[in-house]
Amino acid sequence: MRLFRNKPWFLLLPALLFLILPSYGLATAILESIRGTDGFTGEHYETLFASDRFTASFLFSVRTALIASVLSLAAGVLLTRTFSGYLEKNIPRLSVWLPMVFPHLVWGYIMILLFAETGLFSQLLVSLGWIESSNEFPIWTRDSNGIGIILTYIWKEIPFVILMLFPVYSAIPRSYYDLVETLGGSRWDQFKTVEWPRILPVLLEVFLIIFAFTLTAYEVPALLGTTFPEMVSVLSYQWFYSGSFEDRPLAFAAMTGTSFLIMLGALAAYLYLNRKRMRAMRGRL
Amino acid sequence: MKRNHLPFYFIAGLLFIAPTLLLLVQSFTAPWRFQRGEGLQFQLNSWSLLFSDPNLWSATLWSLVIGAMVLLMNVFIGLTSGKALALYSFQGRTIVESLLLAPILIPVLAVAMGLHLFMIRVGLADTWVGVVLIHLVPTVPYSIKIFHHAYSEVGRPLMEQSQMLGASVIKQFLTIELPLLRTSIRSVTFLTIVISLSQYAITAIIGGGQVITLPMIFFPFLDTANASVMAAFSVWFAILPLVMYIVVEGLLQLLPYSRKPWRIQT
Repeated sequence: MRLFRNKPWFLLLPALLFLILPSYGLATAILESIRGTDGFTGEHYETLFASDRFTASFLFSVRTALIASVLSLAAGVLLTRTFSGYLEKNIPRLSVWLPMVFPHLVWGYIMILLFAETGLFSQLLVSLGWIESSNEFPIWTRDSNGIGIILTYIWKEIPFVILMLFPVYSAIPRSYYDLVETLGGSRWDQFKTVEWPRILPVLLEVFLIIFAFTLTAYEVPALLGTTFPEMVSVLSYQWFYSGSFEDRPLAFAAMTGTSFLIMLGALAAYLYLNRKRMRAMRGRL
Repeated sequence: MKRNHLPFYFIAGLLFIAPTLLLLVQSFTAPWRFQRGEGLQFQLNSWSLLFSDPNLWSATLWSLVIGAMVLLMNVFIGLTSGKALALYSFQGRTIVESLLLAPILIPVLAVAMGLHLFMIRVGLADTWVGVVLIHLVPTVPYSIKIFHHAYSEVGRPLMEQSQMLGASVIKQFLTIELPLLRTSIRSVTFLTIVISLSQYAITAIIGGGQVITLPMIFFPFLDTANASVMAAFSVWFAILPLVMYIVVEGLLQLLPYSRKPWRIQT
């Protein structure tokens, strides 16, 4: 009997052992960011926030990640609700998920092929005579506005959004839409009352995953970003490898600060959903 | 009622299929110069250049070895914890569940930087084992999620049935759980190998430039190779998950109750 009671913990043992990796890694990163020559110190964070390079990079990263995740969510929702009927079938579904076979850095390279100043679109516009030479093509890769990074992420994350949203949409009964229609509701009402409450928890989860990823991933900005402003991941990576020992704590501080921002977002989303659920339980939606 | 299928195929073709075709066409043609009025020029040089690079083959091999190990550990951790979370109720289940999914949100770059010193201390830095361990961080939470969902679908009654009929734990696992979890194993295969193949920064930090996987030679290639070779290299990235998928599919055929493709279906 005792053995039976402990069985789930026994089964969870490998996963709990795995948890040591991320928690030890994060704890060390936090410790390294507040360790001074003797005892703990906040000096690394002071240096960090005083540096223009970091503040510019941080704001740029948050802005880029926000735009990329909001736009890919919006496009994903639009595509899923328009085409959810097709996604039930095998071949259309596989075609939508095709981009997921490629790593992000390969998708970044596709952007270079398409949007670089000598890329496909620029060449086509020149040969069509719409622009004189490829110099007139707007700079969309390795640009200081992060357009290349944003485009790559949106394009690459749309299939992921569809993958996460599709089960929710396919579980909504058709009759709910009919109900709203019979009661004289518009298509917007259908979206607001039938779809929105069901997709909101998934949307928040997917938003957090994509935001956290785009904010801190290294590969795409390394391929498509410029030197100023650079994404916080690229900056931290450089500090980590700069060779001088003064820069390494800065790398840890930058990554710790970014992690805290993500944690705050996750906490806010959790509390918001919880409050909504409590209200629904009390019958005041 | 006849629906117009054109919008879907247009959008899916443009957004999801065209980029793949673009890479394929570019890899078999010389770098494009449409602005000079040149058309497509077929060539195979890019592929032979790519394959003649000895670094490519060793990097491919290492990527496959690391990917396979990451996959094995993912399946093991995912199966055990997914089963525990889906079929048992115990105190602290919700907390454990959120803790196990939390690594999705933690920047893996921060984790890799933090683990670097530890890896040096235990002698795993600059080794492929260390790289496998760090690749677990961005993959395992997804596998746990997938297997958790799959075990919830299987449900407890089916397990109780086999237990009542006297099946051993191993027999139950081989004849009931694994055959029903086939789809999830396929999804996990794809996800883990693609995520593992995507990691440049954390492989560089933990592998210390000694463990050379495909992403590690992608950036140096970018500086020297032309568009055709790069396109061929990009296509090569997508072939590895397919190879892994076929291998896993072959292994799944060994399971009981598998439909054998060479048998005529009635």
